[in-house]
Amino acid sequence: MLGLRKRIWTPRPVKSSYDAVIIGGGLHGLATAYFLARDHGITNVAVIEKRFIGFGGSGRNTAIVRANQRTQENLPLYKEALDLWPVLTRELDFNLMFHNCGNLNLAHGEAALKAMRLQVSSARFLGIDSRLLDPKECKDLVPALDISQRPRYPITGGMYHPPGGIVRHDAVVWGLAKGCSRRGVHIHQGTEVTGIGFERGKVAWVDTDRGKIRTPRVLNAAGGYSAGIASRLMGLRLPISVLTIQAMVTQPLKPLLHHVISSGAYHCYANQTLKGEIVTGAHMDPWPNFTTQTTAAYIKHQAEFVTEFLPCLKGAKFMRIWGGLADMTPDMAPIIDGHVPAEGCFIDCGWGYFGFKSSTVTGRYMARYMATGECPEILEPFALKRFQEHRLMGETAALVDYSANN
Amino acid sequence: MIRLNHLPTLRIKPGAPRSFRYGRRRLQGVDGDTVATALFANGVRVFGRSLKYHRPRGLYSLDGESSNTLVNVDGVPNVCAETTLLAEGMRVSSQNAFPGPDFDLLGFMDALSWAMPAGFYYRVLHKPARLWPLAVPFIRKMAGVGTLSADFQAPGRRDEIYPAADVCVIGAGVAGMSAALAAAEAGLRVVLFESRPWPGGAFEYRPGTARDGVAYYRKTAELAAAVQASPHIRLFLNAPVIGVYSDGLVTAFQRGRPPHPFDERYIEVRAASVVAATGCSERPLLFDHNERPGVMQAGCAHRLARTWGILPGRTAVFSVGHDLGLEAAVDLFDLGVEIAAVAELRQDGLDRALVDALAQRRIPLLRGWSVTKAHGRHRVTRVTLAGPNGRFRKTIDCDLLVASAGFTPVTGPLTLAGARLAFDAHTGFFLPASLPPRVHAAGRLTGRQDWHAVAVSGRLAGLSAVHDSGIDRTAAIGESIDELASLPGPARGTQFVLAPGSGKKAFICFDEDATVKNVDQAMDKGFDVPELIKRFASVGTGPGQGGIPGHNLPLYVHQSGASPDGHPRPTTVRVPLTPTFLATYAGTRLDMSKRTPLHALQVADGGRMERLGVWHRARRFSEDERSREEILAVRTAVGMLDASTLGKFRIFGPDAVKVLDRVYVGDMTRVPRTRAKYSAMCNEDGCLADDGVIVCTGDNDYYFTTSTGRAGMTVEWIRYHTRFDDWDFGIVNLTDAYGVINLAGPEARTVLQRVTDADVSNEAFPYMGYREFAVDEIPVRAMRLGFVGELSFELHVPASWMVHVWNRLMAAGGDLGIRPFGLEAQNTLRLEKCHVIIGSESEQRTTLHDVGLGFLWHRDKPWAKTVGDTALRQTEHQPGRLKLVGFRMADPTAPLPGDGSVIVDRRIRGYVCTARYSFTLKEPVGLALVDDALSAEGSSLAIHEDGCGGRLARAVVTETPFYDPEGLRLRM
Amino acid sequence: MAFTITCPICGPRSGYEFRYGGEDKGPRPDPAQMTPEAWCDYVHMTDSRPGVQKEWWYHRAGCGTWFTIYRDTTTNLEVAPDSPETVA
Repeated sequence: MLGLRKRIWTPRPVKSSYDAVIIGGGLHGLATAYFLARDHGITNVAVIEKRFIGFGGSGRNTAIVRANQRTQENLPLYKEALDLWPVLTRELDFNLMFHNCGNLNLAHGEAALKAMRLQVSSARFLGIDSRLLDPKECKDLVPALDISQRPRYPITGGMYHPPGGIVRHDAVVWGLAKGCSRRGVHIHQGTEVTGIGFERGKVAWVDTDRGKIRTPRVLNAAGGYSAGIASRLMGLRLPISVLTIQAMVTQPLKPLLHHVISSGAYHCYANQTLKGEIVTGAHMDPWPNFTTQTTAAYIKHQAEFVTEFLPCLKGAKFMRIWGGLADMTPDMAPIIDGHVPAEGCFIDCGWGYFGFKSSTVTGRYMARYMATGECPEILEPFALKRFQEHRLMGETAALVDYSANN
Repeated sequence: MIRLNHLPTLRIKPGAPRSFRYGRRRLQGVDGDTVATALFANGVRVFGRSLKYHRPRGLYSLDGESSNTLVNVDGVPNVCAETTLLAEGMRVSSQNAFPGPDFDLLGFMDALSWAMPAGFYYRVLHKPARLWPLAVPFIRKMAGVGTLSADFQAPGRRDEIYPAADVCVIGAGVAGMSAALAAAEAGLRVVLFESRPWPGGAFEYRPGTARDGVAYYRKTAELAAAVQASPHIRLFLNAPVIGVYSDGLVTAFQRGRPPHPFDERYIEVRAASVVAATGCSERPLLFDHNERPGVMQAGCAHRLARTWGILPGRTAVFSVGHDLGLEAAVDLFDLGVEIAAVAELRQDGLDRALVDALAQRRIPLLRGWSVTKAHGRHRVTRVTLAGPNGRFRKTIDCDLLVASAGFTPVTGPLTLAGARLAFDAHTGFFLPASLPPRVHAAGRLTGRQDWHAVAVSGRLAGLSAVHDSGIDRTAAIGESIDELASLPGPARGTQFVLAPGSGKKAFICFDEDATVKNVDQAMDKGFDVPELIKRFASVGTGPGQGGIPGHNLPLYVHQSGASPDGHPRPTTVRVPLTPTFLATYAGTRLDMSKRTPLHALQVADGGRMERLGVWHRARRFSEDERSREEILAVRTAVGMLDASTLGKFRIFGPDAVKVLDRVYVGDMTRVPRTRAKYSAMCNEDGCLADDGVIVCTGDNDYYFTTSTGRAGMTVEWIRYHTRFDDWDFGIVNLTDAYGVINLAGPEARTVLQRVTDADVSNEAFPYMGYREFAVDEIPVRAMRLGFVGELSFELHVPASWMVHVWNRLMAAGGDLGIRPFGLEAQNTLRLEKCHVIIGSESEQRTTLHDVGLGFLWHRDKPWAKTVGDTALRQTEHQPGRLKLVGFRMADPTAPLPGDGSVIVDRRIRGYVCTARYSFTLKEPVGLALVDDALSAEGSSLAIHEDGCGGRLARAVVTETPFYDPEGLRLRM
Repeated sequence: MAFTITCPICGPRSGYEFRYGGEDKGPRPDPAQMTPEAWCDYVHMTDSRPGVQKEWWYHRAGCGTWFTIYRDTTTNLEVAPDSPETVA
């Protein structure tokens, strides 16, 4: 078969200067590099990755995509992202396997229904399809649901979001790497950034374990490690708590779940991959750490909770659990900013456990920001200064439990 | 099939038949059979079909490393036939094959494998774009093994236990048992896990003799007897370890068998030390059609005969790379299997006694030879062997091919415990290069294969664990080290991976039909680390999770030169080490919820109970979702609410008032004895965290309430914000010690006066007053509050007397129409008064100012360093915030907007927090958080609700509260 | 991971008995002096550096004490207060 032996991306030697250096070979970094090259002709770009591309959250998330967030500042980013998957598949000539199966979010009480009506009303006002269902309609959609009064928190309704679904996360990493590499971007795996240098109030270079690289632009898109890089190398403290989030899969089964199903009260979600595994996860142990270790309590709780509303899953077996890092902010919205603390320094972090969904679009806008120096309007609400101005974004209504401030 | 029934190593009772169904066939096994051995004994060779290519698959190992023998048992899919004991009446069926495993309509898929190179999903299926959505349903249908029905109800009983131990030993083979005994001798508490139904591991079935001339199985049985006799060792059989964590936490599950009162139970052990003695599995030999039914590992063939009395075949060819394979050949010959040839990968280093034994039996031994291809469509009929470097070839007819390239240490538990592994060229093993504190490794997984060496290494690990616990074992450890040094060291292993041949049908991963060629394709695409190759080519991500490819993949990648640093790297091991039912993990699922003292009464009164946080509460007492009757009772007569879930605390001591001033926004220095003070707590952001009432009950002694949801956090919140101050105070959570009755309505006083001698008149006990008095000698703390907007008394009653006081009030108010009311009624009543509920009218970013409670903030107490004070200053006059407003519909007959509807102009400008139909005002009223530009009285609000089809409802911001704005009803 | 925390009152216990209280930032600065920057730095900002940090914990399912420990956030293991790693 033609092209069978062609490498997806090609290793290159490290140059002494680049027009932009991106720290982190995850989705946000690769997407930014790709759009710098595609939209702005800036191809002299290095993506520096300490391990291998997709090592962090990009390869550990559970690949769910949706546009049913809470605020109008967030929703457009996610909506655009949903529209972009088929486009990128064509453009990158790499099947990102977008499976538009729809998402069903369950409500287990009055308060949850109210929260959903807010989300649904907001989404529909912005032209995004989302609707409220009663328990019977939920059951019609997902026959495996238990809508009886037996569970601790009986199902009182749901929010159905047809445009959402799942995307093959590894494919996005590899596809973007392919796109970057074809356009001349250098991807340096196994390379660690050890310092960032400034001259006259501007960013001037980065130090790596493979030498010094001069550059006028640096993007910190290192996911779970970005806050540490910011405080250690950029001299910029961020309002971020890095927690471990875990996910697990069952052995593959013939098609059983045809949607992504999630429940706030039980802190979990479940969906079936194209391979037939049922993926589930969501809750986090609320103490910061940089391990990706899994915990015994977590997998047990997950089994308890997911089988409360999907009791048939008791007959499935977990076969693998893994952990990833989630860089959580106090308002569960990301921090996207530029020229902090110095000109040429950009940050794209604080994405917690939802950084996958809009990674490609964020990369596109971030590329514009880096190329023009002007912050695109859509990214303005995510600036760092909102925390000192007491203007949290409202992506979460409840007080978050990982912050000592609550 | 006739069983060999006189072997001393048998684990079956040939005289105890067990009948079961397999598809439509009625079959019989015997007590002690697994599902797999029973099927095999009945002549079943093809157990199922593979995932992608629908290739026939059979019995390969006996410990469930691959998905070959996954079957459906009693409706449960993916049951491992190899590790599930047969039970009377079981209904077993095959999976992923239609109409059956012997003839499968999708068998043609195998011929199409050329069209599905590694990663072809990524590279092909989107051209044209239309193709992908069409392909998805097909891919989904083809994927997956086993069918679970949507209405499946898990049968069986569950259990969960959490034993504590000094030492947890994983694996009850010779090493594990020796370790357990060494620790038990010191009096330590030992938990010993064994995944098989009996102890003994790799030695319990073998008739060969140790260097003292005693048969392995006898020596092993003696050890097992000692273990079972030890009062300090808790041996869990049939209990695979599924997780190992830092700090000695080990999880396992145990399959029950009579008389166990469970079918499966979850076990979690916290041990001071962990010993891993998990032994080895066999490393598959890669050659074309290496997974045809009839190909099996040496231990599998040998144990079928020795443990279950089943001859694995009539004519066998062996292609092995270790002495255990030679030993199996000799023993199977003696038991009646014809051995056509033994191909041995090694040229030298063979056990001489075994070589002699083969010669005596005239079994041809071909050194340096290996199998290159298995022939036969559904089962092996012939094999092709090739000599060194593939130069000579011969083909032999047979129905059994025993193939095993070498051993693989079972290092999963060690890796999970935090051991670092490094490749060892001598053994061909990934051996522990460094072990975390209090973790020890012993036995065959360290490369030793000699019985005595294995036993001594186990004893050494056990002694080391004893030493960990603080009992000095330096001398004994030294002796064991010396003894070990005198015994045979780690055996040299083969690193042979791929037999000469094309590799097109050499399966490195059975579960996902991944071949050596697929791995080559992934490496060609630039994937160089096993972890990525695993993902791109789908190797070891199937139901068996790397049990088959776990060792071959790193070796193969290394030998291909793709590895970036030139060293073989192991792939990542993940929990659970054995796939585990969600039902088993879920265990007994204790529901930790709380009921108020009035729970039974509320239910008896028709209360619709629901869970709110940890509590069960009554939402309403009738079918009416709007609770009209309950509301009217409170407005016109009298009603009672069980408010026992409110947080209740006592804080006392010389510095108590400083503490209150720190966390409450109000001035707490002057709380008079007879008054209740309403105040709020903010977080550092000035946002509303809690509200409640504080009363002074004595000198430096206060009692205060918090909202239900916040009660669990209150003590830690207060202690957190005073942690640097060294203040002298005590705080006690009385939430469960007191119940609360809210007696409300114009007749509330009449009812209360009937049950107490205290003067509760408006003069003696005014609004916002606090009194302590007795009802039938029961001490009651009473506050005159007005959350629902009527004359009301909040009665705090010792929990044990709640039922009595409630019943007394009910009886006393009977003629006045008293009735219980629930949360729904309360919600409407308080909404009419515009009293906020935190979380309902506030969100994470809502400040005290935003909800209009800024008047509670006492700005002139800098000494208190009140939590949130800075932010309250900085946000006091900040524009552009969401503010809480009351609204009525522009058209009072308009339908009620739903809670959560958004308020819009060209953008979203806010949302409806709560809206209800007011029976008192006969129109809908509501509270909304809106942009401050829209918050002035008279502002028009456009409400966009889901399903409104773009037609906006109109509302107007109005004066609040809606009901009794002067507050006369509260003060009457 | 079986995260263990040593409570000064109750001894080593499962991490799930505790609530995390943030990196140790010292006592609350005087509110009167706080600029928005200083306030935000104290309330929200973290170092989030992989390695040993001094941090607050509360024994929620136990004695109800707030205390500090040193913990290596790359291993989730406690570090003795007198160990050389605790020097920032």
